[in-house]
Amino acid sequence: MGEYLLEVQDLKTYFKVKAGKVRAVDGVSFAIKPGEKLGVVGESGCGKSVTALSIMRLLPQPPAEMAGGSVLFDDQDLLDVPESTMRKIRGGKIGMIFQDPMTCLNPTMTVGKQIGEALRIHLKVSKDEAQKRAISLLEQVGIPAAAERINSYPHQFSGGMRQRVMIAIALACNPKLLIADEPTTALDVTVQAQILELINGVCSDFGTAVMIITHDLGVVAGMTDRVVVMYAGKVMETAPTDELFANPRHPYTLGLLSSVPRLDEVRHSQLRTIEGAPPDLLKPPPGCPFMPRCAFARAICRTMPPLEALPGNSAHFKACWVDVTDPQEQAYAEKRRQTRIEKVLAATNAQLASTQPVSEEK
Amino acid sequence: MDISEQLGSATTQDEVEPFLELAPELVQKRRSQGRIIWDRFIRNRAAVVGAAALLVLVLFCFVGPYIWTLNPDSLNALSATSTLANPTLAHPLGTDDVGRDTLARAMYGGRVSLLVGFISMLMAIVFGIGIGSFAGYYGGAVDNILMRFTDIVLAVPLYLLLFVLSAAFVDGTPKSVIFLIAILTWTYAARLVRGEFLALKEREFVMASRTIGAGNFRLMFRHILPNAAGPIIVNATLLIGTNIILESVLSYFGFGIQPPTSSWGSMIATGESFFDVDPFLVFVPGLLIFFTVLSFNLVGDGLRDALDPQMTER
Repeated sequence: MGEYLLEVQDLKTYFKVKAGKVRAVDGVSFAIKPGEKLGVVGESGCGKSVTALSIMRLLPQPPAEMAGGSVLFDDQDLLDVPESTMRKIRGGKIGMIFQDPMTCLNPTMTVGKQIGEALRIHLKVSKDEAQKRAISLLEQVGIPAAAERINSYPHQFSGGMRQRVMIAIALACNPKLLIADEPTTALDVTVQAQILELINGVCSDFGTAVMIITHDLGVVAGMTDRVVVMYAGKVMETAPTDELFANPRHPYTLGLLSSVPRLDEVRHSQLRTIEGAPPDLLKPPPGCPFMPRCAFARAICRTMPPLEALPGNSAHFKACWVDVTDPQEQAYAEKRRQTRIEKVLAATNAQLASTQPVSEEK
Repeated sequence: MDISEQLGSATTQDEVEPFLELAPELVQKRRSQGRIIWDRFIRNRAAVVGAAALLVLVLFCFVGPYIWTLNPDSLNALSATSTLANPTLAHPLGTDDVGRDTLARAMYGGRVSLLVGFISMLMAIVFGIGIGSFAGYYGGAVDNILMRFTDIVLAVPLYLLLFVLSAAFVDGTPKSVIFLIAILTWTYAARLVRGEFLALKEREFVMASRTIGAGNFRLMFRHILPNAAGPIIVNATLLIGTNIILESVLSYFGFGIQPPTSSWGSMIATGESFFDVDPFLVFVPGLLIFFTVLSFNLVGDGLRDALDPQMTER
């Protein structure tokens, strides 16, 4: 086994629809070391979840199509192995938890049986043994009176407790990697922190690597070692977490970071946003997908920049032609932003002027 | 008792009451899923009446003969008074044209009718689950082939096929009638199960079980099927009623259970020709069929409400 536990290279997952091919994941590469915690961030529909499901090979084909790339895990290409091998890896070596714990547990099975199920499938333990281990797992994820709760049904648990059960299920067979697909999105804010702490703690104890998918930059900042920033099915930037927050080098990352509301900012100042909307993945623009929304855009952006390490920092990668730290580039971007604002203002005024007479007549 | 004392006791009660109200809730064990369903069913008066009637009918047919020990097949044709007799103490429901005791025959006939209804339901449901679960789970070509086959069976006029097949294959034993009814009534169960599987296989908990490495069969029969149990049980209950009627129709037209074995349907068939002399011969089995099917339908409706997951916990 090499340096990495999981190595995703140039992964391409397309969806065939009537209108053509949706390029949901279009050439994504990243890697996770054993025990490392990786965050994958990006806005809705940028291909984060599809990436995770592609790794687990859980997308129904068709409509999904694994158009290329490889997913190396334990020296095996998960896109190539037979389904029977894949079934052993799912739950045995890679665990997964989902966004909504309310719908992810089988309502007709006790939680004990559901936790024990993975053990029964992979480790072929007896029923009693599975129950015993389920109790200790429930204790580990912080559910009190585990020995009694083991016979409860999911509807008798709260959302946070169900997510704890999901974590217990995913970690039952001590997998090497845990994929958490927005594990806290459906939870109460106070419970979110507890769950993240739990994932963090339990995975550190077990030595499990984590790939946590989220659109919440706070989650990423709190618990990950590295971050992958995705946009429109492509990786825009990847760097160690501290480095990324301190020294973002991609215009999209800059935009994401500046659109997080901050407590230390002047009150009532306008929240900054990224103008526009993500591109239609049926017909992605040639070149950089962020170009239409990017203030730094130049003519060269019509060809897709490669994901390259920054000069002098082999851990920080970005896919952008522009050096956003260059003052000249910043001035150019600021000018473009101003022009845009003026144009929008002018258009709005013109519209207002044309509608005013009508309202006066009334 | 002076006022301060009264006030004192009132305040303590006020303070204690809320805690007393809360305490049993806290101590009480959470009701299990089965308990909740049972409670809901018990609250449905019509369903309870139906269930009670069914219990009585089953006791009547299966325990009754041990109490009312007259042989249903013993002929009393020798004495003219005991054929087509009106109810007497010796024969509470009278006798038929050859002097057989109607009460005893109703009990034994009921055994056949209930068994035929129940066993053919079981077979139809098992077959329907088999076809429906594969069609719904795998979809695509499998679904197409299995469902077009189901459509073909559904498209054939049921009674016509029943008569033709029974004339050709049924030898008049309950076993052959059970088979015949089962192979024609599994279609609704198959469609129902397919529909449930189609909906349930997209649910997140199925995806979640897939992530722990569960195989297709485990997903189908451990995860999806139990979640479809409610509608299947309801369908099964209603199907017993339908099958009892089918059996009666077959026997009435002489295609089903053959003498000397009697069922309620064949009792109506033989009693019909003596309707003007002794209407009891038709009314007794007729009413028994009526109440049995009605009870099954009431119970089925009650189960439908009790098992409906959309219903809030009451």
